[in-house]
Amino acid sequence: MRALGLLALFALYLSGQVRYSDISKSPTDNWLTYNGDYSGQRYSPLTQINRKTVADLVPKWTYHVRGARRLETTPLVFDGVMYITGSNEVDAIDASTGRKIWIYRNGLAGRHGLNRGVALLGNSVFFVSGDCHLVALQRSTGAFLWEKQFADASKGYYATLAPLALKDSVVVGVSGGESGMRGFVAAYSASTGKQLWRFYTIPAKGEPGSKTWDKLDTPYGGGPTWMTGTFDPELNMLYWMTGNPWPDYYGGARKGDDLYTDSVVALDAGTGKLRWYFQFTPHDTHDWDAESIPVLVDLEYQGKMRRLLLDANRNGFLYVLDRVTGKFLKANPFVQKLTWATGIDAQGRPIVNSDIDPTPGGRKVCPATRGATNWMSPSFSPETKLLYVPTLEQCDKYVGIQHNPPPMHRLDGGGAGPIPGEPGQFFLRALNPLTGKWRWQYAMVGPATMWSGTVSTAGGLVIFGNDEGQLVALDASTGRDLWHYNMGQTLTASPITFSVQGKQYVSIAAGMNIFTFGLFEPAVPFVPPTQLGY
Amino acid sequence: MASSPCKRVVPCALLCTALCMAQSSRTHAQVKSPLAGQIAAIKAGQHRFQEGCAGCHGANAEGGRGPDLADNRTIKRMNAAKLFDTIRHGVPGTEMPPSSMPDENIWEVAAFIRSLNTAAFETPVEGDLGRGRAVFFGSGGCSNCHMIRGRGGFLGPDLTNIGFSSSIAQLRENILHPSNKRGGGFRSVTVVLKNDTRIEGIAKDNSNYSIQILDTHGHLHLLNKARLKEVVFAPKSPMPDTYGETLSPQDLQNLVAFLSRQVIRPQTERTAERSRREAN
Repeated sequence: MRALGLLALFALYLSGQVRYSDISKSPTDNWLTYNGDYSGQRYSPLTQINRKTVADLVPKWTYHVRGARRLETTPLVFDGVMYITGSNEVDAIDASTGRKIWIYRNGLAGRHGLNRGVALLGNSVFFVSGDCHLVALQRSTGAFLWEKQFADASKGYYATLAPLALKDSVVVGVSGGESGMRGFVAAYSASTGKQLWRFYTIPAKGEPGSKTWDKLDTPYGGGPTWMTGTFDPELNMLYWMTGNPWPDYYGGARKGDDLYTDSVVALDAGTGKLRWYFQFTPHDTHDWDAESIPVLVDLEYQGKMRRLLLDANRNGFLYVLDRVTGKFLKANPFVQKLTWATGIDAQGRPIVNSDIDPTPGGRKVCPATRGATNWMSPSFSPETKLLYVPTLEQCDKYVGIQHNPPPMHRLDGGGAGPIPGEPGQFFLRALNPLTGKWRWQYAMVGPATMWSGTVSTAGGLVIFGNDEGQLVALDASTGRDLWHYNMGQTLTASPITFSVQGKQYVSIAAGMNIFTFGLFEPAVPFVPPTQLGY
Repeated sequence: MASSPCKRVVPCALLCTALCMAQSSRTHAQVKSPLAGQIAAIKAGQHRFQEGCAGCHGANAEGGRGPDLADNRTIKRMNAAKLFDTIRHGVPGTEMPPSSMPDENIWEVAAFIRSLNTAAFETPVEGDLGRGRAVFFGSGGCSNCHMIRGRGGFLGPDLTNIGFSSSIAQLRENILHPSNKRGGGFRSVTVVLKNDTRIEGIAKDNSNYSIQILDTHGHLHLLNKARLKEVVFAPKSPMPDTYGETLSPQDLQNLVAFLSRQVIRPQTERTAERSRREAN
């Protein structure tokens, strides 16, 4: 065995590698990064499960994550192995049978909580612990390689996002906008864990943007970065969304635009330098983190093919930007319950109504604090040229409390909640990205509590979780309801699709389990092999 | 029966302690172990334990008529004073008797039991870490199969955090008797496919219908058993069971010392809390 071990020591690295060039392509059999590819389209070219065959979609296996309560992980799949996360945990699973291959658990992490998935590159798996450590594991075995603390949890930071693996680096962001931390995006060497660059979303005193904070003693002010960004490999440009200014609901101590909160920042992936930014909600007092996925598409706009960035924003407008320059092109509302602004002007600034700030007694404003959409993944089909967005029609009563906030202490400065007698309602809307109008919509019956996103496919489908806990497949062109399966619980994750040995599957995390579906095959009698020992 | 006060311990004795002990938490919080973590006290406690307690709890506290004390969540959570009280007063209503040992001897036994339930890296240990490292990465051949922070082989469990997940006693046991505890995705297996292809490696998982094998080249084979003709598990662990003979006692101790200090994070809030609990 010792000889076998010596052989194995040097041979492991010959096994299959997750290559940057493969992540850059549209997902094929694999699902290699949080959004399927760098564009954020969440579009799969697989066609075995399609408009006709989806009627035969049946459960294939269930994998239980011990101790889990609310999984939000997007599974990644490479070479028939699925990688999912729980709280401070990564599980590698045989993707066609649901059997465990290895589990890594970090019992030493100082904070437990939800996690949205891993990144893959080479023979490594990367994930973030709740207390802000970037952890690298050996993909074949789950063996620990290194970890790097990227933020101090005692200062209000925590981490939930799936990291983004680039050519030779891994990019992370932070949560904690309700604690007045200083948000940032940071890149680490994929091989050593050495920090390569860090971009702060809150400028230090004297830096550009610092004067947009009035009395607040920057560089503290929130601007978290808790969702995985998207990336244009040809431009070598990262697009990362930023969250709310702090305190969330009280803006009196931070009069001004509060840069770079509620924005998309375009960063040079090699240096972390800011190429451009666009702020969706200047001086936000409604906790409308701009954390919805920025979707990168190339479309004809005013007669010319343009590299565009689409963002169905939590503030209720669907934005179209030129992703090369950051130039604002247009924005249209994609919800009907929208009272905070009458529109977006030619420069991209909202035309804000008066009397929208939260008050001590509470004030009705639309959309709700959960937003017209949120972090649930949208998807874009190049076939239909539609953007599929989980959309919430809801208003909230917003309460604001005047406060002079001490830095790095949890302080919301108020809050928001549903208005009695005015329940919210979710829709899946198939949006024309350039007009914000929906070609069709799927109205959901439910308590308006879900957090599930979408995947769309070349099989002509859009697959998503609805508000009553069902996984649903619709015709992506018409919205025709083709298939559903009752998961029996509120869905808080987005589905993916992948293929192993010629068989296409659909997977989604739900509650404490991973569920996987495939096309029906009749069972055949099983003849076990001869087995010695067990 | 000998007169040792620990002799008539019964099943569930210590497990019942939390419910049965009448002492107030204030009293417990005020009592500190005078011998916590002292190597000499642990050794003396082991001797006394084997004299008087092992008859029910097993020679190495692995359990018998009495419960397993070596890897016991209740004892892990029990502070030192409660452990002392359990030995001193027994567990009323059970066969676990009170002890008339002097306090110091009870503290020694408590220190021994605690050492079995304490992460290795929190336990004082004798030995030369540098020499232990040399055994691990050199003469002992451990790193042919085991990895620490990315260095080493992959057929055995990763040991980067072994100082947190094992006690000193478990470390020693696993080195000396690897076949006593098998499984967990590291069993040696050979399978023959119906086309006569032979695959040898480690079974990461095995069910009635599929088996997942990491072969010696690091390739994963995800196999439906319907494709297989034969599955043969090795009767013993792939890890040599001869380290008790091939390593000198001092090298063995050095290796245990080195492994006991392998943790991903040396100190966290959680481990600090455990240290505080131990001190009180």
